[in-house]
Amino acid sequence: MTVVLFFIFGALTIGGALGVVLARNPVHSALFLVLTLVSVAVLFLLQDAQLVAAVQIIVYAGAIVVLFLFVIMLLGVDQTEPFAEPLRFQRPVALALGAILLAEVLLLAGHRWATGAKTARGVGITGGAFGSNIQRVARVLFTTFLWPFEITAVLLVIAVIGAVVLARRSAQTPDSESESAPRSGS
Amino acid sequence: MTEFYRQYLSVAVLIGAAALMFGAMLGAGRLLRPNRPQPEKFITYEAGSDPVGGWGQSNVRYYVYALLFVMFDVEAVFIFPWAVNLKSLGVYGLIEMAVFIIVLTLGLVYAWRKGVLRWA
Amino acid sequence: MNPHVDFHAFAPEIVLTVTIVAVLIADLFTDDSKLPARIAALGVLGSLVPVLTLAVDGQTRSLFGGAFVVDPFSLVLTGFFLVAGYVTLLLSFDYIGEGDYYQGEFYVLLLTSLLGMIVISSARDLISIFVALETITIPTFVLAGWRKHDTKSNEASLKYFLIGVLSSAVMLYGMSLVFGLANSTVLVDIHKYASGHTPALFAVAVFLTLVGFAFKVSAVPFHFWAPDTYEGAPTPVTAFLSVASKAGGFVALLTIVRLGFFPSGNSWQPILWVLAAASMTLGNLAALRQTNIVRMLAYSSIAQGGFILVPLAVAGDVRGNAAWQAVVIYILIYGAMNLGAFAAVIAAARRTRSAEISRLAGFGRTNPAIAVMFSVFLFSLAGIPPLAGWFAKFVMFRAVFDANTTVAVVLGVIAAVNSVIAFFYYSGVVRRLWFDEPAAGVELSSPRLPVGLSAAMGLMTAVILVVGVYPQFFARLGEIAFQRG
Repeated sequence: MTVVLFFIFGALTIGGALGVVLARNPVHSALFLVLTLVSVAVLFLLQDAQLVAAVQIIVYAGAIVVLFLFVIMLLGVDQTEPFAEPLRFQRPVALALGAILLAEVLLLAGHRWATGAKTARGVGITGGAFGSNIQRVARVLFTTFLWPFEITAVLLVIAVIGAVVLARRSAQTPDSESESAPRSGS
Repeated sequence: MTEFYRQYLSVAVLIGAAALMFGAMLGAGRLLRPNRPQPEKFITYEAGSDPVGGWGQSNVRYYVYALLFVMFDVEAVFIFPWAVNLKSLGVYGLIEMAVFIIVLTLGLVYAWRKGVLRWA
Repeated sequence: MNPHVDFHAFAPEIVLTVTIVAVLIADLFTDDSKLPARIAALGVLGSLVPVLTLAVDGQTRSLFGGAFVVDPFSLVLTGFFLVAGYVTLLLSFDYIGEGDYYQGEFYVLLLTSLLGMIVISSARDLISIFVALETITIPTFVLAGWRKHDTKSNEASLKYFLIGVLSSAVMLYGMSLVFGLANSTVLVDIHKYASGHTPALFAVAVFLTLVGFAFKVSAVPFHFWAPDTYEGAPTPVTAFLSVASKAGGFVALLTIVRLGFFPSGNSWQPILWVLAAASMTLGNLAALRQTNIVRMLAYSSIAQGGFILVPLAVAGDVRGNAAWQAVVIYILIYGAMNLGAFAAVIAAARRTRSAEISRLAGFGRTNPAIAVMFSVFLFSLAGIPPLAGWFAKFVMFRAVFDANTTVAVVLGVIAAVNSVIAFFYYSGVVRRLWFDEPAAGVELSSPRLPVGLSAAMGLMTAVILVVGVYPQFFARLGEIAFQRG
């Protein structure tokens, strides 16, 4: 059962990834990305990593893709990028590097776990006896990594401030730029 | 079938039901409606006037909304493990989470005071 | 379940965080445009108080299972970052106040970056280090693009952002491999793991992690973002980037190498050696050809980064703490010199309205006070006694001779040749200042310099002179940093 599911969602992941690269319309690419990300979430579930799977769907398939779509809309969908490569040698080099990476992955796959770490399902990374995956994550997150966790809140606020600073037009008058309606595409 | 799969069976059933419903609604529409293609029907509706063509470029300011959404989305991610362990984390966890949320709220207050949320 | 939290150990961070919140609230709910700046300056000074009380206490405090350690090392560097942050604030007051810029946000972003720095000096595990590094960098992406209507500033921000996130991704990948192998993110455990037999994959992990750091500290060949970013960003931000943010990267690098990767010397020493040699040579050669003073200082700071990497690269062969001390002392002195140099650039640009070196011609005759201090900073960067720069170079070379291996001596020779090259372009600017005919259009009777700017320049000049004449002061700080508390 696990193997069957793995192959189904593995195939969906790769199919979605190909769709991202090959789709002509950037919006379609973004939607293919959702497919890939959700499939990866299922692969995480098969590894018993429920929290990572949930994060994958909530943050990546939800929020990040929404951001992508916003940027696509911002740039305008019909501005098709010319496909002529500015650097001629790039494609063969990319192909060669990709092939090397594939060979590497296959080689490492032959050694089972490249790093020697075990799955979360087995004798877990932090020792298995502490209950479910989420509980273990919570335990370290709210004790050992308390400080990085609180700083993350500051970082998120900084992200909003940065976006507001960069996206708004002028500094002094908050009202003056409100009239600017969405510009129509050129 | 192990306990693991039984737990996620309901998710699979739900996804299946969603797909079925989606297909049924569109399919029923296709079966019931008359088919009279006219070129005008393919033009984007834009308040009665002729559309400029293509997709409009949206305003940068929408992006701030998206970012605010992401911010609280990430907050939700951190709330999950806390909610699951609510009892064992106790008062201490409550304080940690309160500090986290209060700091995040500052981001929203900032956006509000800077008039980003107003669409005049 | 409740971890015991030692709030005294945390006090500098807490004070700074509260300051950030206060600045934000002051900006949002009051109309006083000077208030955020005042709170920011007070808060930075306020954070220094617990640093002092912790130093008097002198006890090593380890929190969160060794992930956060307050020891003399972290206190010395926290103090350094706070002072550097305060000087940056002094430089910024008028620069930001006069422009059509956001005020409160500027200070919030600057202080957040500063918060990342003081966290990084105490962080002792990979996750804390990574989060702290991101806290340093992310606000500076926005700061670099502060002059929104200037395409150069936009370019600066965008390049910095793209390279920054790329380097973070590479570093995080390396760190995840380290975690997978060592089964822990705490540096002490990684040290234990590295002491044993390590597979080839560990070298790959170390390589990726160090490449990420190389981007952050703009070491050649990962430096190409630095000149454009430094040129386009507002000059106080450039000063902050080239001193505090860069030092943050070096502190994290030092911590991770010293406490984590150290036993596996073969995996990190060659990388750092190449980075050091390339940064010194390329940085200096490129600096020779610059006509813009900010770009010249950008390349010079790349070269200085190379000098800081020299003791790190040979640290494996140095007994005791001499190499680590050399890095810390160099960072402290470099901070004073470079902040001073950028302060002088800001002061000069107020008079000449330009960053071109040619426009500085004869500046010594029209504005002798600024020119004298400018010359002090430049000669100190060149390493001429009795200015502090010579002592930085001295401890670096001492570490090289302590190591006394062939590779170390080769690196030392490269460093020596580079010191000579560096002298040419630093003294070139000084010659322009004093011996060339004044350029037309330089205002003679210009308005007085802002107090903050003068204070920053005066303070840095004093530090450079005092440390240059009495180097034991910083040498002692370097010793204290590596004492066992």
